[in-house]
Amino acid sequence: MKWNEQDIENYVGAKEYIDTIILPLLPFQLSQDANTKKDAFASEVLTIFSNEIEKELTGRILLTPSYYYLKSADKEQEVKRLNAWVEDMKKQPFKHIFYVSFDSSWKKNEKDLNGNLLWLPGIQSGDVHSEEMQKLIRQQVQQIVELIRSYW
Amino acid sequence: MSEEKQQVSRRQFLNYTLTGVGGFMAAGLLISPIRMAIDPVLKPSSAGEYANVGLAVEDITTEPQRVDWKIDQVDGWYESKVNRSAWVFKNENDEIMALSPTCTHLGCVVSWEGSEDHPNEFFCPCHDGRYYKDGTNIAGTPPTRPLDLYDHKVENGMLYLGKAQVRGEA
Ligand code: FES
Repeated sequence: MKWNEQDIENYVGAKEYIDTIILPLLPFQLSQDANTKKDAFASEVLTIFSNEIEKELTGRILLTPSYYYLKSADKEQEVKRLNAWVEDMKKQPFKHIFYVSFDSSWKKNEKDLNGNLLWLPGIQSGDVHSEEMQKLIRQQVQQIVELIRSYW
Repeated sequence: MSEEKQQVSRRQFLNYTLTGVGGFMAAGLLISPIRMAIDPVLKPSSAGEYANVGLAVEDITTEPQRVDWKIDQVDGWYESKVNRSAWVFKNENDEIMALSPTCTHLGCVVSWEGSEDHPNEFFCPCHDGRYYKDGTNIAGTPPTRPLDLYDHKVENGMLYLGKAQVRGEA
């Protein structure tokens, strides 16, 4: 399920079946010319990625809006905010929280995050619409789906 | 002083315009559902067309295989390529079956023999929904109706799939 009216209507009618959250973490920062293009690309890929995971498992997961952060920001602060999101989500019967991200710097704070961090080694650049990229993404999606299922 | 006056009137002007546009949009919203209901020409129709899914009929066996293809879909704001999938096989009567992989419970993607514990069935990973090979849902699992069945036709030895049809309760 996604964060749109139709899906949320379905969600409300079937809450007891939807116990898993997918929360994409995306860096957004315009001040660092060296990284903007890379970050924008990562955002495109991660969005496709999260949508594909959602498609496979739509009946049991809720894909939340992405969490955007400045890369230079203090991660401890960010973790606090994220945990506040999660605390609020957990007022509903969610058992599993998965963060998806290409940004390895979350790894350092993983233990403080309420939930599981699925860190994906980033695809650095390329054409998101090319055949190879689609294949690559599909393979990774299958692996992530397996991983998520192993938590159920 | 006079400049300020001008500012205000400009602001007012913009406000009026915006209200006007808003009213126009509200009117549009009121009208369109009725028009959709009475005017079949305005209904989207592309869903009924057949697509070549890239599978030769001679390659269809009794073992379900997954095919993926793309269709063009105009969906409100977007015109986009949409992915479709089906599980295709021949049944005991040698008829081609193309089942939609969308679980009829809450929409996860089902796989043929997706669980080792349940051979010869379609399995939904989300809440252990199960279906017999012909797509009929197995009582006691969450799905409430069989998997949808695609319309199909054969042209020049290739399989074409059309609309997925909802089938009645088992
Ligand atoms: S979505 Fe398939 S069993 Fe619930």
